[in-house]
Amino acid sequence: MNVETVDLTRRLGRTQAVAGVTLSAEEGVLGLLGPNGAGKTSLLRMLATVIPPTSGRLRLLGRDPGDHAQRREIRRRLGYLPQSLGYYPGFTVVEFVEYFALLKEVPAERVPHAVAAAVERVGLGDKAKTKLRTLSGGMLRRVGIAQAIVNVPELLLLDEPTAGLDPEQRMAFRTLLRDLGQSATVVVSTHLVEDVGAACSRVALMDQGKIVFHGTPAELTTRGEGTDAAGDAQLERGYSAVLAEARS
Amino acid sequence: MTGEHHHAGEVDLGRVWIGVTAQAWRRHPGRLERLAGRLLRSPGLARALVVTPSLLLGWLIATGLVLVAGVLATRETGTPYVAICAPGIAAASIAYAYGPGIDPAWELSRSTAVSDRMVLLVRALAVFALNAAFGLAGSAASGAATAVTFGWLLPMTAMCALALAAATLARSANVGMAAGVAAWLIAILSGQAGAGRLSAAVTDSVLIAPYLATAVGGAAIVLYAIRTERGTR
Repeated sequence: MNVETVDLTRRLGRTQAVAGVTLSAEEGVLGLLGPNGAGKTSLLRMLATVIPPTSGRLRLLGRDPGDHAQRREIRRRLGYLPQSLGYYPGFTVVEFVEYFALLKEVPAERVPHAVAAAVERVGLGDKAKTKLRTLSGGMLRRVGIAQAIVNVPELLLLDEPTAGLDPEQRMAFRTLLRDLGQSATVVVSTHLVEDVGAACSRVALMDQGKIVFHGTPAELTTRGEGTDAAGDAQLERGYSAVLAEARS
Repeated sequence: MTGEHHHAGEVDLGRVWIGVTAQAWRRHPGRLERLAGRLLRSPGLARALVVTPSLLLGWLIATGLVLVAGVLATRETGTPYVAICAPGIAAASIAYAYGPGIDPAWELSRSTAVSDRMVLLVRALAVFALNAAFGLAGSAASGAATAVTFGWLLPMTAMCALALAAATLARSANVGMAAGVAAWLIAILSGQAGAGRLSAAVTDSVLIAPYLATAVGGAAIVLYAIRTERGTR
């Protein structure tokens, strides 16, 4: 398993952000759904080794992130797009992506090719030499995705990747996600149910720090059938039905 | 050659294009970055070092201008303004070396193979060394007595450690700078009040022990604050 968590918890001050998550994921795209404050971002930050768990067991790419040497190996194979992407306004697109290629210890001789491939893959070739301060929110998001994939990660963690993307860019991004999921484990946190339906092979639904559903998008859809759960689409009704059931 | 057996349709144009753009977009690191890369044995660490906010050209020019003003004022009045300014400037610079609030991509860089702890240590050492070199050059140029020329190095170390400790604990460069500069102002004004000289803060041997304690305590706090959180298995 590329992602394996057992009874994982994370406390942030007095708040129990993640309350005993047991989850596993292999190659493919796993959509992490849930309302705001469900604990998706905290879970992703633990998977990204940005914060350690308070308790529970976590293994990533078959390694223990609690061990320094193994964590470094994980990080070399990891791509992460945080919810709010910090960036250096004076950097160009290429400089920013290159900076993270170097921090991820992509071998120096491979960096130019890796950067070019990542920038082209997110469709920013014509903006490669443009300063980040001049880019729109959607373009910055794509820069964030480019830095996340520059090391061709085996584990890719994306927190709200489609925020700020227009419909055309979102469709292109879903295609990219499906493509990336062929060879890597991709975990996408989102509250947009349609993104999950279009791009994810598995879906986990979080509420109040817990996983309340884990299955395929089709199985989530089934959960909404025959109920009066709210939602415009079948998947949304499944989402609402599971949430209502978890909270009852 | 294997290429002779390829049909025109088999040429991977996408791959060719990536190769072309890779060459066109390739960034050539400057001499300093190449040297840092060799010394640190890490191109990533070297790159992180050369983009340190308080090592950027504008910041260095500002530091240089303040010290030049200090040299001129020292020569004019005899009061060692370079020695008095240097610890405060260094404290501000080191607070702005790395961390949330000042390094926009801090969250992202915490997930990379080059550890954020190493980045902070390398940047802090570089900022300290550069400020010490600036201060020593300024002191020498101002013709200050030997005791004054080197007397500010210990207070500078103490203020830097304090500023960095405050910045890492509060996760704010501004808090770190405020703590370092405020502590140094208090030391100077206390010296003025007690000994009647602004320079007492850098020449009074009674202060050596408190400065040492501050330096060691600050460094210990920094190391604790940036310790590697091991998490659970």
